Amino acid sequence: MTIEKNDSENTDYGKYKLLVVDDDDDILKLLSRWLKKAGFEVNTCTSAEAALECLGSIRPNLIITDLFMEGMSGMQLLSAIHSKNPLMPVIMLSGSAQIHDAVKATHLGSSAFLTKPIEQGELINEVKRVLRLIRGNRPPEGFGREVIYRSEEMAEVMELAESVADSNVTVFISGATGTGKEIIAKAIHEGSARREHPFIAVNCGALPEQLLESELFGHEKGAFTGANTRHEGLFMAANGGTIFLDEIGDMPLSLQVKLLRVLQDLQVRPVGSIKTYPIDVRIISATHRDLEKAVEAGEFREDLYYRLKVVPLHLPVLDDRREDIPMLAESFLTNFCQTNHRGTQHFSPDAIEYLVSSSWPGNIRQLINTVELSATLCKTEIIPLPIVQKALQNKPQPMQTLKEVKMECEKNYLISVLRISSGNVANAARIAGRNRTEFYKLLGQHELDPADFRVKG
Amino acid sequence: MSDEKITVSVDPDLEDLIPTFLENRATDVNKLKEALGASDFETLRSVGHSLKGVGGGYGFDKITELGASIESEAKENNIAALDNHIMELEQYLENVEVIFE
Repeated sequence: MTIEKNDSENTDYGKYKLLVVDDDDDILKLLSRWLKKAGFEVNTCTSAEAALECLGSIRPNLIITDLFMEGMSGMQLLSAIHSKNPLMPVIMLSGSAQIHDAVKATHLGSSAFLTKPIEQGELINEVKRVLRLIRGNRPPEGFGREVIYRSEEMAEVMELAESVADSNVTVFISGATGTGKEIIAKAIHEGSARREHPFIAVNCGALPEQLLESELFGHEKGAFTGANTRHEGLFMAANGGTIFLDEIGDMPLSLQVKLLRVLQDLQVRPVGSIKTYPIDVRIISATHRDLEKAVEAGEFREDLYYRLKVVPLHLPVLDDRREDIPMLAESFLTNFCQTNHRGTQHFSPDAIEYLVSSSWPGNIRQLINTVELSATLCKTEIIPLPIVQKALQNKPQPMQTLKEVKMECEKNYLISVLRISSGNVANAARIAGRNRTEFYKLLGQHELDPADFRVKG
Repeated sequence: MSDEKITVSVDPDLEDLIPTFLENRATDVNKLKEALGASDFETLRSVGHSLKGVGGGYGFDKITELGASIESEAKENNIAALDNHIMELEQYLENVEVIFE
């Protein structure tokens, strides 16, 4: 095994370590020379056995291996690597274009299959393409590092998101419930010059109209019963940063007019105020609804729709990006174990396979629930197939129960009221039309502390 | 035997690798001759296969072409054709002149 570091000026790819395996020394030298020239750090091994041995110490981001080698073959190497690390991308090289080999390699999870003689451009392009897809291993400073994927579908979305992130352009995210719209919105905010300023997410469907208006634009003292203090509003709070308007499709028509005016004039007028205040806020909106249909039905303003939809991003459902499921499941499991101070756990290979082949009408949110339930049910380090089957069957319905929806809505309402009254329980209770005792009881049920809402300083 | 020079353009980045590369091909020719003498078609096929894979990458398309022919003739146990191809390869290696550009 040889280790050589490149000192090419193309430093961008120097963060990626590649391991090249071939029993032909001339091929090894050639590929190594090309890859180093492209800026990668390259390690080489002349057999599959040697590659397996040094895998732990090298920790490559990607492996390129010949298919036919003396001793252990490239296909056996692929299986051995993936039994330890199912997410390791492997590019397979073959001297002859045998379709059944290519099919088998793809089935075993190789990322690409190239035929010798290999062309320099083809190899470099393929390596870059595969590396673009393994966001789990990418350098920490990359765009959207919290977003986990290897599928082409998500790579396309992320590419578009990255290209518009560092601008002020208005982005509109569509996609079914639970596809991760807020995570993408956050990634766009983090990828922009606004990252040092607030990112504020508002669920426009969770609040009654009057409350939503006050939440978004603020209100003056005495603007309505219970408004005993001035409230600044989320647009003002997000000044310099990004506001994420989730479920924009559920916003009442009368408020849509007011939002349109804010977008046109870049200033807000709090409820009960005669003054307007300039704002510098980037707008990202999202909905699971078909807004075009809502426009046709007269439920959503066409002019607002076009103003929001400058750059449309559509998130695929989880069933259309199944290759991401192993990475997502392992990542959610790791997070769950860390948050709950549990020992590390992993899914058995057949459990992962089951997750990959299951149907996910509730998308990523449902996958998270299943992963967490599996981890809770399982007391051993490796989570076996039956536990995962049980976890998935226990929650066949991704839909929330009526009680859950009511609780969620109630909690959102209480948070808004507390924010508007700056944590003053007497005022908050008055707005909510409850006496203080009842109101305290509600806060207790939702584990809300009024002190968290008091204006600091 | 013709001793007319054959010029091949190779990427200057590979310049220091070329002497070893050509030495290894000369070794391959010896291996091929030996295997042909012993009617060892498996070795002929395998050396042909690796010549096919390695030639073009370094800029020697002819080596890839001859490697592919040797590989396929070895599968047919075609001694006469193999003899021809090996001779052609030997001649090519003797007359090849590399320009780095």
